[in-house]
Amino acid sequence: MSALLEVRGLAKTFGSVRALDGVDLTVEEGRLTGLIGPNGAGKSTAFGCIAGAMKPSAGSVRFRGREIAGMPYYRVATLGIGRTYQIVQTFADMTVLEAVTTGALLRHPRLPDAIAHADEVLAFVGLAEKRHRLGSALTIADKKRLEVARALATEPTLLLLDEVMAGLTPAECRDAVALLRQVLTRGITVLMVEHVMEVLMPIAEHVVVIAAGKTIFSGNAHAAVRDQAVIDAYLGSPIEHGEIAEGAR
Amino acid sequence: MRAHLLALGAIVVVGAVAAFGLHSQVTLELLFTFLLYAVLGQSWNWISGYAGNVSFGHAIFFACGAYAAAMLVAAGFSPWLAFPAGALVAGLLAVITGFPTLALRGHYFSIATIAVAALVDAFVRTTPWFNGANGFEEPIRNGWGAMQFAQKTNYVLIALVLFAFVQLATIVLERSRLGYYLRALRANHAAAAAVGIDERRWKLIAFAWSAVMASAAGVLYAQDTLFVDPPSVLGLSVSIDIALIGVVGGIGTVWGPAVGALIYVALAKGVALQLGGTGKGYDLVIYGALICVIAALRPRGIVGSLVDASRRRRGARIANDGAAPVAERAA
Repeated sequence: MSALLEVRGLAKTFGSVRALDGVDLTVEEGRLTGLIGPNGAGKSTAFGCIAGAMKPSAGSVRFRGREIAGMPYYRVATLGIGRTYQIVQTFADMTVLEAVTTGALLRHPRLPDAIAHADEVLAFVGLAEKRHRLGSALTIADKKRLEVARALATEPTLLLLDEVMAGLTPAECRDAVALLRQVLTRGITVLMVEHVMEVLMPIAEHVVVIAAGKTIFSGNAHAAVRDQAVIDAYLGSPIEHGEIAEGAR
Repeated sequence: MRAHLLALGAIVVVGAVAAFGLHSQVTLELLFTFLLYAVLGQSWNWISGYAGNVSFGHAIFFACGAYAAAMLVAAGFSPWLAFPAGALVAGLLAVITGFPTLALRGHYFSIATIAVAALVDAFVRTTPWFNGANGFEEPIRNGWGAMQFAQKTNYVLIALVLFAFVQLATIVLERSRLGYYLRALRANHAAAAAVGIDERRWKLIAFAWSAVMASAAGVLYAQDTLFVDPPSVLGLSVSIDIALIGVVGGIGTVWGPAVGALIYVALAKGVALQLGGTGKGYDLVIYGALICVIAALRPRGIVGSLVDASRRRRGARIANDGAAPVAERAA
């Protein structure tokens, strides 16, 4: 196993706000790595910097040993990184098939080849029956599925998923987890941002926890939930009994 | 795709029959104007409809062809050379002006196109090489070599060939990587970048082709009117006419510009023939009112609304049927 993606000292400032202040993470090839952290920890910013949507202020992002930090957004996709968005970004006036075909055109410039590939991907994610619907007319769960399909159609080595489970019902979550497992069996490496830890626990072999723009934990998912720094980040630091007693009064 | 090709074939046949069969020079002139504006509308549609960058300066590309024809003739060359020469200049102009402006969001691209058009207009007016504000008047000749004809029939035929070529290119565009990429960029540029689409590259290609088409229409215009000057081919009103044809018919559709041109010619020119002479401008009132109605009720234009409706029906039907046959292909 080798590192597919290595992020070191990633920093991003917006004016005087330090959204990221030294994020380190390593994504091993063929595994699912979870990136978690409480609200406002900088998960989406880190994600944006890795995917190429944002330019980091400092630090390095190496994909297959190649520096990609600050590269034009579209180039990152051509190198083999696919992504989805936390808030789904559909091609509003395109059908499901057309949207996925657009992704497939990256590796299959001829339209008939791209459509054939898109059909395969749609069958894989379970959207084949809805291929002629407008993307904007789908349910949230199907829209997220469509985003995954569109990203998979670019035949990525690394798939970045930004809170794909958010807003799904428990049943839809189970379906999404099943789909993720299938993606992994295809040999695609996944880096998944999640807000809810329970979602990641059963599928992530490795988790990276960030809080206040810094990596505070990196390792096994089960170890993460017992780690004191992680618990503190999610629940807050333990406080003196006296304070609680005073607060209660 | 088949339906598009059949429709195009039918229009070309009807157009050719009309060109030979009709003897009214006025009707043939209207037909010629319709074809010319349909080409200009389609040219605009490539960058503004499919790619979503609304151009209000398209006249400059039209002017490239018109001036190329007039200047080549003045220098003793064949006006046919104006097709490649005008295309080259228009394409270069599109690449040079598009490079810094095409990635501008929202209205800023439109503002940039107006500014560039004003600049080109001012430049041509003040440059002796372009005969400044006087423009060029072509000497009257006759025949295919000079691309000048006493009868309108041949003009209609050339315009018909140009129209067919442009429509064919657009039908191919819809079934190509470029067409998909432009639509994706128009819908969501961030999501488009995430699937590896280089916005600047693909929009420059579309803009250059768009400019080449407008230039070809300009050549034909010059050979028909035999007079080219800044207000007639470079004015803001020319750019606005081109944009309105695209908007009225339907943005991002194969037949939208043709429908827009038909309405424009029927109203702006047809009504002008009936009412224009009264000097009261009723024709412009009617045309203006129509544009307001379409903009308010059908922002995607006439053909655009029809396409949307058929897509919704198709989607709903497949949803009701449950599983769609796997072999089924999008039309």
